[in-house]
Amino acid sequence: MTVRAILGLAALNGAYAVLGSSLLWAIRGLPRWSDALRLAGLGYLMGVAAFGVVWTQLLVVGVPFGGWGVVLSLAGGTALAIVTGVLLGRRRPHGFGDPDRHASSGAVLVTAVGVALTGLLLEAMFRAARLQGLQAYDAWAFWVPKGKAIFYFGGLDQQVFTTFPGPTYPPLVPILDATAFHAMGSADVITFHLQYWFLAVGAVAAIAGILYRHVPAWLLWPPLLLVLTVPRVASGLRVPQADVLVDVLFVVGALLLALWLHDGRGWRLAAAAVLFAGAGLTKREGLLFAAAALVVALAASFGRRRAAWPRLLAVGGLVAVAALPWRLWYRSHGLGGEAPTDAGAGGSVDRMLDALRLSADVLFDTTLWSVVPVVALIAVGAALVWGDRRLAGFLAALLGLVFVGGAWVTYSYRDIPITANESVNPIVRYTVAIVLLGAVSMPLLLASVWRSVAGERP
Amino acid sequence: MAFCLAVTLVALAVQYTDAFRDANDTARANAALDLIDRKVGAGNSVFPDQQLLVEALGLIPSDESFAVSVGPPQPGWTELTADSAEPFLRSFLLPRRIDPNAPWIVCLACDRAAYPGADPVWEGEDGLSILRREL
Repeated sequence: MTVRAILGLAALNGAYAVLGSSLLWAIRGLPRWSDALRLAGLGYLMGVAAFGVVWTQLLVVGVPFGGWGVVLSLAGGTALAIVTGVLLGRRRPHGFGDPDRHASSGAVLVTAVGVALTGLLLEAMFRAARLQGLQAYDAWAFWVPKGKAIFYFGGLDQQVFTTFPGPTYPPLVPILDATAFHAMGSADVITFHLQYWFLAVGAVAAIAGILYRHVPAWLLWPPLLLVLTVPRVASGLRVPQADVLVDVLFVVGALLLALWLHDGRGWRLAAAAVLFAGAGLTKREGLLFAAAALVVALAASFGRRRAAWPRLLAVGGLVAVAALPWRLWYRSHGLGGEAPTDAGAGGSVDRMLDALRLSADVLFDTTLWSVVPVVALIAVGAALVWGDRRLAGFLAALLGLVFVGGAWVTYSYRDIPITANESVNPIVRYTVAIVLLGAVSMPLLLASVWRSVAGERP
Repeated sequence: MAFCLAVTLVALAVQYTDAFRDANDTARANAALDLIDRKVGAGNSVFPDQQLLVEALGLIPSDESFAVSVGPPQPGWTELTADSAEPFLRSFLLPRRIDPNAPWIVCLACDRAAYPGADPVWEGEDGLSILRREL
């Protein structure tokens, strides 16, 4: 709870942002400092994902984890990205301003209000997180102990990683926890809640930065702010578990895929690959989310499959390669797989219908998500009729597939009861991904309708 | 489109104030707790007396191991004590490892006869104690 611990966390998260921004510069180039600033949130998430993915592989092969290892990996990764950028001929950013966008004074005012309201809310969340004790069961029972084990024992300690609950859950979040402990100078399980606050700030910055050039400010900020304030999302942001991170990595990756379908810029795919690889090592459903996004992108790009499919398959291959070593590690330690009891058609039709009904009830529960899912669905419908149909089709299919995936989880694990009780069924936590994706899709969908109505190219 | 935006803005007006108030209330509640309450966290719901956790942290060296032995529930225990004491302790006391043959025994109304030669080094109420034995 000291200033030193907070400064350590701030420095660590700054280093994630520098690492990821360097990666972004290497794969995309950042012509102006304003581009670097606008995409700093995306860079931060890429840095977090890349760091976690690399350290997962290093821990699996037995490389000891320590303070110097953290520093060297962050510095080495950044240096490698910069050298790659130089070899690719990227130029140093220069100048400010955004020649591709001439914002009206109204747009500037809306942006200022959006940033101010978001900042005010995040500041309140900072104060709430700063002195937060460890309360959530999953957090104290296994997520944080795994982070402590990496911090104290320097690796995937066999006792902790094979006998504590959730032994097959991937280690990316415990790695981030252990890194935060190093940055703070101790396993301070109170101040480290701020690590999750930094992730929330990075997520907001990433989404706003990605969408900034594609939607007007008055369509960007209301849905983004609303999803931050709905009860189940706002309360989840301070909980030191993997749920928020896996949802954020998936949703930002899906946004990049949606934009890639629109403009075909290759760097978006490379960035999505890093984020999806991180999601696959954050939580088990991260692989399901990534697979759903890639399958829908394959279908959406059918018309230009010769150029698009090899790239999408390469993204899928990278995600699979990143996910494999951890699965081999726990298999080699005698742990069973993650497959459900009724993965196929073994369950009853009644259970399937009950699972679907439960997923729908949870999705449209206004006490959890306010009106976000309803408005998002209306936005999808409007865009399918009046807006960019390819974009709307991609997002509608992805939302539908992830929704069905949630019902499938309830259906196929026979030991999960049909209930929204979070202590025995993960459907509420799972549905955060759908709500978040719906909310951040709304600006893109509504902007395409607006442009269509205004007579611009969708 | 106008409908979506209007509904979003109305919902935002309601939700924003709720979320802001909730974050402030949480910050205030957290600030009102003392250091031990924050450090123990969920353990306050598991154990009848947080002193056991404080003593365990102080008495058991960080490179040694401990066992947890739970006996019949006592009147002062919470409904979580019997089932959650061991999982909480093995998380809370890291890097101390849990081991049934450890020199330290965190005893919750346990059968002390099962640990011959073990002496209490701390004893609290509701059957809570910490034992130490020579191995």
